[in-house]
Amino acid sequence: MKIKVCGLRDPENIKAVAALGPDYVGFICYGLSPRYVAELPGDVLKALPANIRKTAVFVNESAETINSLIDKYAFDVIQLHGDESAEFSNSFRNRVTVFKAFGLNDDFNFDQLTAYENKVDYFLFDTKTAAYGGSGKTFNWDMLNNYKLAVPFFLSGGVSLDNMDEIKKIDHPQFYGVDLNSRFETAPGVKDISKLKQAFDIIRNKILPMKYGVNEHGYYGDFGGAYIPEMLYPNVEELRQQYLSIINDAGFKAEFNDLLKNYVGRPSPLYHAKRYSEKYGASIFFKREDLNHTGSHKINNAIGQILLAKRLGKKRIIAETGAGQHGVATATVCALMGIECVVYMGEIDMARQAPNVSRMKMLGATVKPASSGSKTLKDATNEAMRDWIANPVDTHYIIGSVVGPYPYPDMVARFQSVISEETKKQLLEQTGKELPEYVMACVGGGSNAMGMFYHFLDDEQVKLIAVEAAGKGVDSGHSAATTFLGHEGVLHGSRTILMQTPDGQVVEPYSISAGLDYPGIGPQHAHLYKINRAQYTSITDDEALQAGLLCSQMEGIIPAIETAHALAQLEKMTFKSDDTVVICISGRGDKDLDTYIKYFNF
Amino acid sequence: MNRLNQLFTSKKDNLLSIYFTAGYPAINTTVDIAAALEKAGADFLEIGFPYSDPVADGPTIQHSSERALENGMTLNMLFEELTELRKRVTIPILLMGYFNPIVQYGIERFCKKAAELGVDGIIVPDLPMYEYEQMYSSYFIDNNLSNIFLVTPQTSEDRIRKIDELSNSFIYLLSSSSITGGSLQLTNSIEDYYKRIKAMELKNPTIIGFGISDNNTFKQACTYANGAIVGSKFVKLLEEENYMEKIPGFIKSIRP
Ligand SMILES: Cc1ncc(COP(=O)(O)O)c(C=O)c1O
Repeated sequence: MKIKVCGLRDPENIKAVAALGPDYVGFICYGLSPRYVAELPGDVLKALPANIRKTAVFVNESAETINSLIDKYAFDVIQLHGDESAEFSNSFRNRVTVFKAFGLNDDFNFDQLTAYENKVDYFLFDTKTAAYGGSGKTFNWDMLNNYKLAVPFFLSGGVSLDNMDEIKKIDHPQFYGVDLNSRFETAPGVKDISKLKQAFDIIRNKILPMKYGVNEHGYYGDFGGAYIPEMLYPNVEELRQQYLSIINDAGFKAEFNDLLKNYVGRPSPLYHAKRYSEKYGASIFFKREDLNHTGSHKINNAIGQILLAKRLGKKRIIAETGAGQHGVATATVCALMGIECVVYMGEIDMARQAPNVSRMKMLGATVKPASSGSKTLKDATNEAMRDWIANPVDTHYIIGSVVGPYPYPDMVARFQSVISEETKKQLLEQTGKELPEYVMACVGGGSNAMGMFYHFLDDEQVKLIAVEAAGKGVDSGHSAATTFLGHEGVLHGSRTILMQTPDGQVVEPYSISAGLDYPGIGPQHAHLYKINRAQYTSITDDEALQAGLLCSQMEGIIPAIETAHALAQLEKMTFKSDDTVVICISGRGDKDLDTYIKYFNF
Repeated sequence: MNRLNQLFTSKKDNLLSIYFTAGYPAINTTVDIAAALEKAGADFLEIGFPYSDPVADGPTIQHSSERALENGMTLNMLFEELTELRKRVTIPILLMGYFNPIVQYGIERFCKKAAELGVDGIIVPDLPMYEYEQMYSSYFIDNNLSNIFLVTPQTSEDRIRKIDELSNSFIYLLSSSSITGGSLQLTNSIEDYYKRIKAMELKNPTIIGFGISDNNTFKQACTYANGAIVGSKFVKLLEEENYMEKIPGFIKSIRP
């Protein structure tokens, strides 16, 4: 759900609105509105961050004036609010994004929109008034049910704090954003920052989660929920009630962002991989999570959860780990905060990721082997849950991926979403456009992929590719390709897709990569898979190791074997030469050197 | 009214229930063990069906589940074994297990089949109240099956009231927030918790479980609740040779 704040003009007020992080800000560029200003503060507009799209609103203006104002203020978007034709609207689309606004009343005939399909980028539905919008009145939103075209729309006209509940009920596949305007003003053209802030919080977190986001019962479509025994209920319920207010608190955000910047080293670079681009015939970018402190994306989530645990007054941290990356990240943040840390790790994983076991110990954590079942990640997760059951008051469980009972999948996705947030900004800076054609990531539980997808989910034109581990081949009986081999069921507290026998026993997965060796995926991934928003593929051990070698020798980057799965997928794709592709380099390969060395006989 | 309700109307104190895992130590033992437990004096039984990832269980029941799965136990096989159940056993029977095997079997189909075989109630630790109420309760009610909810020392009063409302045979009180198989010491805080529950005067009887392993812990539990459940301690007995002959002695050791 996008947020547009429209009708700005005062320099200080523009800066204050920008600080809230809207997706679009709008400036009235026609003469009749009370919010009209002849000269906009050009320097303030120029200084706005690139991810806030500057929108100029016109009514029946000449092409000449529109073009000169686009030149003058470097607008990203124009909103045509008069009787402009489809052809006229279309003529600007090589320069800017085009919104076509319509005033709706009960007699509005949606057929007139057909001519604009493929000629504008978005519609904006406003309340019909004599004066081209800005009346502060709403139209009958039930009318939207009559709108059937495939062009996404913004809702405008009288949106206020009083009708957020009604907005929540609008269930339309093309409902893309809301336009906040006159009902958030202290005077014409001056926005009430505290009211806007309230609206942003409600829209972003409670009422209008993204179309692909979680609902208030913890479900993504058919998946999610909190299938936990009563012993875990008080802890999980405490989290559910508190996580949003804690992580949206300004103090929390400041501390989180400060640690991400000064401790983790963010923003992580977005690197244009030139030799890869040449080889694969597209513009390929690496999002370098491998350069984070501790060597993978896992630290983003660990920092978020340790700050949350502190605010919940917890005195002890537990975690599960597969590759050891999440265990190391958790041990690291516990050292940072001086909190006791116990990490559960499958016995088999302890052997194949030995360097990480030592790192955790050096960081002061206790590593406890999980020796039941397959002795890998799922069993480590079981043990961590058992520990949490037995320590119901003072312990927080830092789950390492977008799995587990609600609110974990949503919470972890939010902490990891910094990956795509930065990517959008960096792409815009480096290429002039914020949306790539493809976004790719490997999937174990799915946290680096979810972080990489998060801010692209609503941008339907971006193709999302998630790469699972095929192990020795999907049909070999030694695989972790969950969407291919799995069925719907319940695992570790959520309804999702998991590998299981017809009798519902969880099947032991296999992958050479400990971080992908998990029989399920997070519930949001299950949903994206089921509704086809993302494509799920799989890569074998051999393909991944070869891709790891190739990346090392062509780009000088030794990737984690998990990451190498995403890289290997490039071999199977065909791109157009002007395609832009972003791959999440989720981690570095130091921990995997032994495996690489054995495989390649170095 | 099912057998559970009849039992709780006729007998209000010192009720003893025993848990064991179907398929352990071997397949085709379920009804034999159940019949022997009835004969030895148990008031009602919980038959566990095994799951690969029993997060609420300690080592003893994890082990019995693993072995049962190795022995080939499935829900289908259990239901086959239970076709004889009501020819040989008259006391109330509950099935206990995790949600995923039930989901795969089909929740409605599972309830129907269980009822048809003479099962009286179901305990699914990881089936939450919200989902039960919104999606599945009709399957239980239509088949006259009781769904049993768990309560821990951390469960809030509001939630306990709600559980009491949704329950129609008994409420399963956990002695502490723990996995199965722990050892129980009666501390002041546990006693406070038992007293707190007793003072709530719930409409459903309460049965205490987790950590009940001998006459001492059984007696303590029965001071505050209508009875108690023994699980891991009995499952351990099934590891021994000639366990069938030892069942009467075992029951006497808990409730002389
Ligand atoms: C480097 C790296 N990438 C990917 C993963 C897979 O986890 P997720 O799917 O949650 O990103 C792991 C897990 O340990 C990892 O260490």
